[in-house]
Amino acid sequence: MSNRISRRAWLTNVSALGGLLLTGCTRETFIPPRVRGGLIGAADVLTMSTNRLLLSGQQLAREYSRSDIADPFPTWNQTNPRNAEYQLHASEGFRNWRLPVSGLVARPRERSLADIRRLPARTQITAHVCEQGWSAIGEWTGVPLQRVLDEAGGVTPAARYVVIDTFDGWYEGYDLFEAAHAQTILAYGLNGRDLPRGNGAPLRLRVERQCGYKNLKFLKSIRVVDSMAGIGRGTGGINSDFGFHWFAGV
Amino acid sequence: MGVDSASIPEVRHPAAERSSTAHSYNVRICHWINLVSCVYLLWSGVHIFLDFPELYWGHTGYRGYPAAFRLADWGLSWEEAGALGDRRWGRNYHFTAAWVFLINGLVYVVWNLYTTHFRNRMLPARDEWTVARVRTELLDHLRWRSRGHAPDGGYSTLQKTSYLILIFVFVPLMILTGIAQSPGFTAAMPALLDLFGGRQTARTLHTIGTVALVLFVVVHVLEIMAAGFFVKVRSMITGK
Repeated sequence: MSNRISRRAWLTNVSALGGLLLTGCTRETFIPPRVRGGLIGAADVLTMSTNRLLLSGQQLAREYSRSDIADPFPTWNQTNPRNAEYQLHASEGFRNWRLPVSGLVARPRERSLADIRRLPARTQITAHVCEQGWSAIGEWTGVPLQRVLDEAGGVTPAARYVVIDTFDGWYEGYDLFEAAHAQTILAYGLNGRDLPRGNGAPLRLRVERQCGYKNLKFLKSIRVVDSMAGIGRGTGGINSDFGFHWFAGV
Repeated sequence: MGVDSASIPEVRHPAAERSSTAHSYNVRICHWINLVSCVYLLWSGVHIFLDFPELYWGHTGYRGYPAAFRLADWGLSWEEAGALGDRRWGRNYHFTAAWVFLINGLVYVVWNLYTTHFRNRMLPARDEWTVARVRTELLDHLRWRSRGHAPDGGYSTLQKTSYLILIFVFVPLMILTGIAQSPGFTAAMPALLDLFGGRQTARTLHTIGTVALVLFVVVHVLEIMAAGFFVKVRSMITGK
């Protein structure tokens, strides 16, 4: 037990140091929502805090040229959720699909795909890096997640994580540092066309500084929370619930 | 002539022998931590690779893209490899072992720069770099006559050279090709992508480097066996 307490104290000190270096960043910027035990947990903290210190300027991930694009873009894992609600939306061309933005925002609201397309768009040619080892470059078009949060009146001071739920039953938490990055977008376009179903239609998340499994497809809702406790098994997302890294920057 | 240099008995004071060949605490502790972390790195890396058993050149590589290497061509299908590999276990242990390896390696390098171990015992002197000497050593090795040390009791020229290249060239390249695959680290240091010509090239080089490292260890262990396995392992444990 004393081991656990001293580790927590140490982690708090590390994050305090980070806070000194990076004003505006919180413990959540450097440490996963739930730190695993033993050496693996220590390595998780080292990996995440090192990455975040190196990326404290919110640098952009490499953007490539059009000639690097993979077209058609490869598909992987789920390419067509069997969920009845999803199938209905798909059959209607996602006309009646709505994206709720709820939780710790000033003005919770729902948005249609048309609403989202009307917001200022960002197009980026970036590499999708799968943790399995493959990578492919695509041109993604969408709206920055931060813009969508701002449109909902911004997050409240208690907000710590943005949670995304999908039609294929995935859920993932993202800290506000990741959400605020210019390349963190909700993409509805791929390679100049509407996002294909196999790549996550109608809307998918792009977090360009993390591995593929954090780039959720088939978005269903966005909510802002103060803690990841109580969501899934409480480790911060479906991937970490199954024992993968929560911070997937490596 | 006709007298094999290896048959000339070495007459040395025991204390002098020990002082010149003994491994320091730092070298011994770091050596064994390094061994454990490398075993974990290798085994977890094999698991990660089996989960996606193809290699590519450049920035792009996915199933169906022209591959530089496919395990399927060597008799193990994608599905069979996937069933053998567990990437969740692999990734968790690979990155944990990588931190142990890195921190241990930094302690080793900084400590031995400070104590001038590298300069005094591992940097070949000018007179060691003669064609004749290197040739003699090489032939001795090939004839299984290596004694694991030079006539003065220290490392031989080949040992010194290979250890220094390993520590200061090869290992940094393995670390760099490793982090050049990471979306987080390459966002912070995009030059890594240019250095190797792409994420997939880095992954391929990382894999080739792993094979090279395994071969190095095989030779390393053969050398130790040639020089006397028990004595050499004991000296890496006890320092005597």
